[in-house]
Amino acid sequence: MKCMTEPPTRQESRTQFNEDWAATIIGLVLLVLIIIGVIPTGLIP
Amino acid sequence: MTETQTQTRSTGLYVALGVLVVLLLGAATRFLEKNVPTWFEGDFAKAIEYPVYAIVLGLLGNAILTATGWRERLEGGFRTEFFIKTGLVLLGASINLKVIVTAAGPAIIQGILLITSVFLFTWWLAGRLGIDDKLRALLASAVSICGVSAAIAAAGAVQAKKEQLAYTASLVIAFALPSIFLVPWLASVFGLTDEVAGAWIGGNIDTTAAVTAAGALVSEDALAVASIVKVTQNALIGIVVIALTAWFAFKIERTPGAKAPGIGEFWARFPKFVLGFVAASVIATWYLGTVSSDEGKATIAVANDLRVWFLILAFVSIGLEFKVSSLREAGWRPVAVFGAAAVLNLVLALGLALLLFSGFPV
Repeated sequence: MKCMTEPPTRQESRTQFNEDWAATIIGLVLLVLIIIGVIPTGLIP
Repeated sequence: MTETQTQTRSTGLYVALGVLVVLLLGAATRFLEKNVPTWFEGDFAKAIEYPVYAIVLGLLGNAILTATGWRERLEGGFRTEFFIKTGLVLLGASINLKVIVTAAGPAIIQGILLITSVFLFTWWLAGRLGIDDKLRALLASAVSICGVSAAIAAAGAVQAKKEQLAYTASLVIAFALPSIFLVPWLASVFGLTDEVAGAWIGGNIDTTAAVTAAGALVSEDALAVASIVKVTQNALIGIVVIALTAWFAFKIERTPGAKAPGIGEFWARFPKFVLGFVAASVIATWYLGTVSSDEGKATIAVANDLRVWFLILAFVSIGLEFKVSSLREAGWRPVAVFGAAAVLNLVLALGLALLLFSGFPV
């Protein structure tokens, strides 16, 4: 008999992979905003 | 409003509050980093860099929130993995594509040799000490690949219990925290070059956030090499997870009618931020070729400032997430296995870093 106490950890792995995409998209969008000047020099404290 | 809706709303509020706590501690880190060297004379205050303030403030916040009973409620906002991965994508912008391409070969060789030997050693030792097969898989993946991310991926592959994952994650952080300071110090004692120190840090320290913290303590060049080595190990998670899925389905649990995992499974397990890291390097390398050197440097400096913010938020989250209680519950055996594997990893990673990265150009 397996995993009686807690459900398996599929949910954690799904969250993990969503965070992967979120980090990739947000990181690249921020980089593009910096390159096109929307986030100017001196704005980041 | 139904009970479920009310519950979802309050969970969302707690996550937002958790993120706010991380941001406030991140701002405090930035404040201390800028002002402490002006408050105290001497080199010591100047030598303390942002990862130290961030982790210490995170641990202090952890103690206060635990004492007041708020930690569990707010922990949904402590998104270490998200912050570190966004920071690493931005870090890609400051690394020339040529460096990534040159380092990829030695990083892959180092990754394959380290992961194979440390994984098999941990699996064997945990078996000798009678540790449950699922926990063995989690411990071996965490110590040989990349800490918490690998443990989460392996937990999905072998259908581990939640408490086994929580325990392994706590063990990873308990070992990573001292390594952040110990490995850079040892690298300076041994007189390693920045590139070798970076490769050692990237190969040896388990969790990606801790690798970045230790690399940043040595130098920007060390941080670049450490990140490339760690990102390569991250990319190898997919292969290990496929092997584990097949091993557990066919050998350990002997699931009737189990299908062999294919390319779809590999893609599902592949850490997508690795693509973002490479894409950021491609974009920045192209951009720097189209503008003057001064303009290019000023723009990349903004990306670097933003990257430091995300790394600070990740280090604060590491401190906030650390749990001693789940370590106490599992007893001494897994700690002994993890400790022995960490020592083997430390020695092997140093040897491979010296062999593969001596004289490496950054």
